Amino acid sequence: MKALARLDSHLEDRLNALKEEKQQGRRIIGYTAGSYMPEELVLACNGIPLGLVQAGNNHLLMEADAYICRWLDPFWRSQVGYLASGRDPFYESVDLLVIPITDNHVRMLATIVDFCMPDRECFLFGVPHIKNRSALSYYLNGLNRLRKKLEDFTGVVITEARLKKAIALCNRERQLFREISLMRRSIPPVVKSFDFIKLQHGSFLADKQMMVDILESFIEEVKVDPPAVDRGPRLLFTGSTLARGDSKVMEIINRLGATVVVEEFAEGLRSYLSDVKTAGDLMANLAEAYFMDRICPGWFRPGTERLDFLLKLAGDYRTTGMIWYQLMYRESYKVESCFFPEIIEKKTGMKTLVLESEYDAMAMGALETRIETFIQTLRS
Amino acid sequence: MVQYYDALLSLCGFEAFEIENERPRVERAFARLGIGPGDMGTADAWVRQNHDVSLTGVRKLLGAWLKELIDLVLAKEEGRKVVYFGFPAMLGPGLLISASSGDVHVSAPDMVLCHTMGQIFNKLTPVIEAGEANGLPAGHALCSLWQIKIGAVSRGIIPVPDMALASSYFCDMGSKADDFVTARFGTPVAYIDGVMDSGWGEYPGFLPERVEYLGGQINQAIEKAETVLGIRTEFDAWVKVREVGRQFVSRLQKLIDLMKADPVPVSLTAIELLEALSGASTGRGIREGVRAMDILIQELGERVKKGVGATKKGAPRIMVSFGHMSDPSITRLYEEAGLAVPLTLVLNAIAGSPAEPEANYQTPGEMVAAHELAGGFFHSTYGITKRMEDAFEVMTLDGFIANYIFCCRPSAIQSHITKKYLEEKTGVPVLSLEQDIYDSRAYSADSMRTKVEAFAEMLRSK
Repeated sequence: MKALARLDSHLEDRLNALKEEKQQGRRIIGYTAGSYMPEELVLACNGIPLGLVQAGNNHLLMEADAYICRWLDPFWRSQVGYLASGRDPFYESVDLLVIPITDNHVRMLATIVDFCMPDRECFLFGVPHIKNRSALSYYLNGLNRLRKKLEDFTGVVITEARLKKAIALCNRERQLFREISLMRRSIPPVVKSFDFIKLQHGSFLADKQMMVDILESFIEEVKVDPPAVDRGPRLLFTGSTLARGDSKVMEIINRLGATVVVEEFAEGLRSYLSDVKTAGDLMANLAEAYFMDRICPGWFRPGTERLDFLLKLAGDYRTTGMIWYQLMYRESYKVESCFFPEIIEKKTGMKTLVLESEYDAMAMGALETRIETFIQTLRS
Repeated sequence: MVQYYDALLSLCGFEAFEIENERPRVERAFARLGIGPGDMGTADAWVRQNHDVSLTGVRKLLGAWLKELIDLVLAKEEGRKVVYFGFPAMLGPGLLISASSGDVHVSAPDMVLCHTMGQIFNKLTPVIEAGEANGLPAGHALCSLWQIKIGAVSRGIIPVPDMALASSYFCDMGSKADDFVTARFGTPVAYIDGVMDSGWGEYPGFLPERVEYLGGQINQAIEKAETVLGIRTEFDAWVKVREVGRQFVSRLQKLIDLMKADPVPVSLTAIELLEALSGASTGRGIREGVRAMDILIQELGERVKKGVGATKKGAPRIMVSFGHMSDPSITRLYEEAGLAVPLTLVLNAIAGSPAEPEANYQTPGEMVAAHELAGGFFHSTYGITKRMEDAFEVMTLDGFIANYIFCCRPSAIQSHITKKYLEEKTGVPVLSLEQDIYDSRAYSADSMRTKVEAFAEMLRSK
């Protein structure tokens, strides 16, 4: 598709563009995965937001071995690996790294960067694990501290007008992602999930306005000439993290003739289901949208909101099976995988296949066998 | 009439009249636990092999754990409501609930099982396996404490709780496993949430909102407990809680003074029994523990005068993070390698270098939160590491074994950082030792002996 080719081309040239922007005085604000860092704040102080969601290469874990034992989530150990090794030019371009601390795996990264990598300037703020007004207030305090840090770091005051403009731009991006995602509810879906995820991952690195243009043209293209999508079993794809570069499971699913029609991941994908309100207290609106409105990740307690959401997705997208793809040692997802599937099957009849990965290429053969068996079960 | 268990109870510090008084409860509890005459030989040998039973204080400590176990196992059938908290925990809420009603049993049951089914009966593995078979499978580095808890509830050896206090301020697994218990058994949970987002170097400072948020969560949990359990927490209960804490800490401080002697007068296995009690019991165990400590302190004072110790005089002195909770043969490993262990991270955090909050707070929740954040353990990885560094001011030390728990994420974060930081700051060697301090199947004494012996040899050669 032309829009996807345009995205590829934009990303190919993106590092040069970032270099030029930096020479002109703009600061690059990198942030870690999880969708708790409002890009609006970065855009409003003329910074460039860059989402760091790359992983999938087992070699990066060896780079992390000098800093941390193996018993933490490989995505987050990969982040240590990238930051320690300097292998990824996008990571290297970052001037300030913002780490919203969600669970202990993210705290591991924050601690290592803070202590072992003093040359990397970072800003930490915490994300509570329950949803209520006092938790929201805690999160909002963190955002206010972040705002102050960004203003100091960039030398640009975040005015109401600038913030409102940034929110409008980000809302537009979310609306477009929603529209594309919803196109997959039809039978057959008119959008490939592989393409949707490619757009999602690209959006973490792309210029925001350019990304909006690409998404708009993608929708136009689909309306005129929808791509052929396989008619195999419709799958719900869920888990902890779907990183840019971690595409092997989806490739296997596609190759075996099943169709992922919707996905739910806490990290690696952008939250797009609701917009930020543009009237009233904008900082409070950001906190409301990024903390309260979004579907909570697996490490929130209790996990009932996410369970209900999975049930809703299964109904809305008419899925017949669920692939639960989690990363090794992410204990909150592992524990949920021990009882969510049973509840979901009782309520919907939908079967679940639980897969785990440590980004090990050697494990792919076994994963493929399991996925193939699961898809055959669904077909029968 | 003498029964098969009398000798073991006596070995564990029970007086004859206590055995008689407890007999019906002991029999009911042992029946539920699956402990019978055939287990006594193993238990007797295991206790004598690993614990210094020549000290009455040590025997009384083992007895305190056994009494806690009996109370736990029988709590429901004796008409008490049962509340479980996760380990490690801020103890304030549990102690307050316990002090507010004699009809509520509050404890960390997994810890109680470790110190009894593990340290006394050497029979913990089937409980862990039951946890693995009932929802928390092996091979995923899941918390073995939680496997013990789930296993014990699934096998019916401890009661299904009426309520859980989830330590959502430290551990991600605990709260999630509490969700699992809710799904299985319908147990209500009070999540005490907090966020460890302080930066490196920030301790002992912290953002005021950390106390406000965590303190509010504790207050809400106590309110929920009042509703669920039908109790009232009054101010006098709070006074009682503080008094229990004060009694425990003052004795631990005396103990630390005694541990400064060379040779160190008692094994780490005894220290571990003591310090863990304060993290697991809110009832009889901790009260009996205080009495046992009084005896132990007197006995150790005499040992110090006579120059008697657990290791040779002049042995290299090290601090370890924690002793093994269920397998004392692993805890003894350090001393068998010729190392004296006068201090642990936990002992120092509770009663060693002082750490009090700077500001005053009004509500019980905020007071507990501020106290715990000041203690470092629930503050941040830096807070924990700094408390280890502080220990070098409390005790002369030649080295440090920073044992971290592979299946506990907050602990595993420290795998490399602690060694780097402590070696830079103190100049003494640090061994980073991976362990599971609750389940010794994979990380046995044999698997660790070479590392510890090499470390001991290196310290001796310095």
